[in-house]
Amino acid sequence: MSVADLVLVASPATTAAAGDVPPRRRGRQIVARIGSGLAVLVPIVFISSFITYSLGALSNSDPAATILGQDGATPQAVARMNRALGLNHPLVVQYWNWLVKAVHGNLGASYFTQVPVSTSISQRLPVDLSIAGLAVVLAILIGGSAGILAAVRRGGWFDRGVTLVCSAVSTLPAFVVGIILVVLFATTIKIFPANGYVGPTTSVPQWLEHIVLPGLALSLQVSADIARQLRTSLVGVLEQNYVVGATVRGLPRRRVLFRHALRNAAGPAITVLGYDFPLMLAGSVAAEAVFSLPGLGQLLLESAQTRDIPVVQGLLLVISSFVIVVNLVVNTTLNVLYRTNDGTSA
Amino acid sequence: MSAAVNDVVARGRAGSVLRLRSARIALAVLAAIAVLAAFGPTLAPQGPLTLNTSSLFQGPSWHHLLGTDYLGRDVLSRLMAGTPLSVLTALEAVGIGMVLGIAPGIASTFLGRGFDFVANRVADALMTLPSIFFAVAVTAALGNGLVQAMVPIGVLLAPAYFRITRAATLEYSRAQYVEAAELMGASKFHLVTTHVVRKVFPNIVVTTASLTAGALLAVSFLTFLGIGVQPPEPTWGGVLSSDLDYLSQAPWAPFIPGALIAASVGALNALADAFRDRGGRGALALPQLAQITVRTGPTLEDANGSQRSVA
Repeated sequence: MSVADLVLVASPATTAAAGDVPPRRRGRQIVARIGSGLAVLVPIVFISSFITYSLGALSNSDPAATILGQDGATPQAVARMNRALGLNHPLVVQYWNWLVKAVHGNLGASYFTQVPVSTSISQRLPVDLSIAGLAVVLAILIGGSAGILAAVRRGGWFDRGVTLVCSAVSTLPAFVVGIILVVLFATTIKIFPANGYVGPTTSVPQWLEHIVLPGLALSLQVSADIARQLRTSLVGVLEQNYVVGATVRGLPRRRVLFRHALRNAAGPAITVLGYDFPLMLAGSVAAEAVFSLPGLGQLLLESAQTRDIPVVQGLLLVISSFVIVVNLVVNTTLNVLYRTNDGTSA
Repeated sequence: MSAAVNDVVARGRAGSVLRLRSARIALAVLAAIAVLAAFGPTLAPQGPLTLNTSSLFQGPSWHHLLGTDYLGRDVLSRLMAGTPLSVLTALEAVGIGMVLGIAPGIASTFLGRGFDFVANRVADALMTLPSIFFAVAVTAALGNGLVQAMVPIGVLLAPAYFRITRAATLEYSRAQYVEAAELMGASKFHLVTTHVVRKVFPNIVVTTASLTAGALLAVSFLTFLGIGVQPPEPTWGGVLSSDLDYLSQAPWAPFIPGALIAASVGALNALADAFRDRGGRGALALPQLAQITVRTGPTLEDANGSQRSVA
């Protein structure tokens, strides 16, 4: 069973009948699906981490000589250092050792500062988690409400406005949006700081102040995607017989919309949120650059310039693991939301 | 609609793409950019590196149509001179993606399940690597150059080509006329080259248009980050990046390179949409990550106009 088979497409006809499966069997189905999803993910994890590790071998750099410096790099010292770093083994053995250590949280140390890679990553991670988290919340709020309103008022001026704004936003890359926001809200109307970062442990209001603009810059594209997907699917669902039926039976409009229609229409929007996640990671590099935030992207740029391979490898591994985990979460959410009677995907 | 009928419709409409106003505007914008890419540095009214300390941060004027930057250099000339590098490296990435993606995409439907499984897992794995992160990481290994940085971008575009050609090939290779040809004794090679590749072509056109937009965005972003270019050399992203440092003096400045990037990306996306509306099919605007999350189901495609399910 491939991942593709696991994935479903929101289909009201099948989901409407989903309530009859006994709870225990349903639980087992979900576990089975997560299990087979993992089985497909394992080769993906191996291949992508191998690509990541191979960057070191591609680099042609001589880490032992770099660490020892010009004076200390005698052939004997280089050979000893290579043994100490495990670089005398074949690439596949090196990769396996690196991966085993990485699973235990040890990503090696920077060639230059000797600071453990996991330490520098965990120092920087909160910055990106803050802006990406805020961006997801904003995207769901902005995109979700715009999409719902546009679908409910289909054909009205609000609907046309949403469509127009969405296509405008989708041509603007995150770094351009970020710069526009800086020009508008930091240099012209000075209500937010143009750059810098303050941790939430230091001051929560200041933290929020510093992450609002980067978070907003990151969220706009995703908001536009969510709004478009939600509008399209909600328009379709609202025409379904069971929605008309619920309305005819006299259920309140709000209840019909949120309990009946939205649940079945949300699938594509959730999918697109998972789909856009790597885009948001790229966007967070942009946001860090525009707002000079000390995040993972800046760490990557610095270590790429100095060719600090362990840091680069560690960062890439962490980022791609994030993408894989988010995908798994999105898939599982969709599976739980749209499970079907016979245990197969729609 | 069966594949064959769909194809006839697609071919009948291929010429009518130009009847869409959005497609005509998009093509005009792209033609202008192509001219800039070919002759930009020679057409530039002033030297892109000429300093003029007596006219810093000037607004648009007759002498400097788009104003001057923090060293008094003419912004229009810098953008024109920077066009070839941005466009050519974007095309480099798309070319790499095509070569690495299309051949295995067609082959995987003919070479059996083993090859198909492996190719799919490799495509999945590549899609877990965010493009900008990967590109910057590769410059750490291969050296700091834009040409080097666009190689990984091209490699990451390959899964999109792979998926779209694989899906289209699968669909067309099941069409009845292909079956008929097979029964008449045509070789596999003949089937692929004569009957399938030509049918897959419209899908590749749509994919290429939207992936070129993505590649152009990646180039601008990498040059914005300062990857692969030495400071005086003009690039789209570089102009934007230096504008950002002097916002207090010239808050309007970033809008000029920003608009140029947005216009070229928007034109390519509009062109892709036009092709899609007129019967071709293709990937989503930026298929960064796909199948490990989702098979591009009909719901995703509905939002992209009349694109039909290829899955």
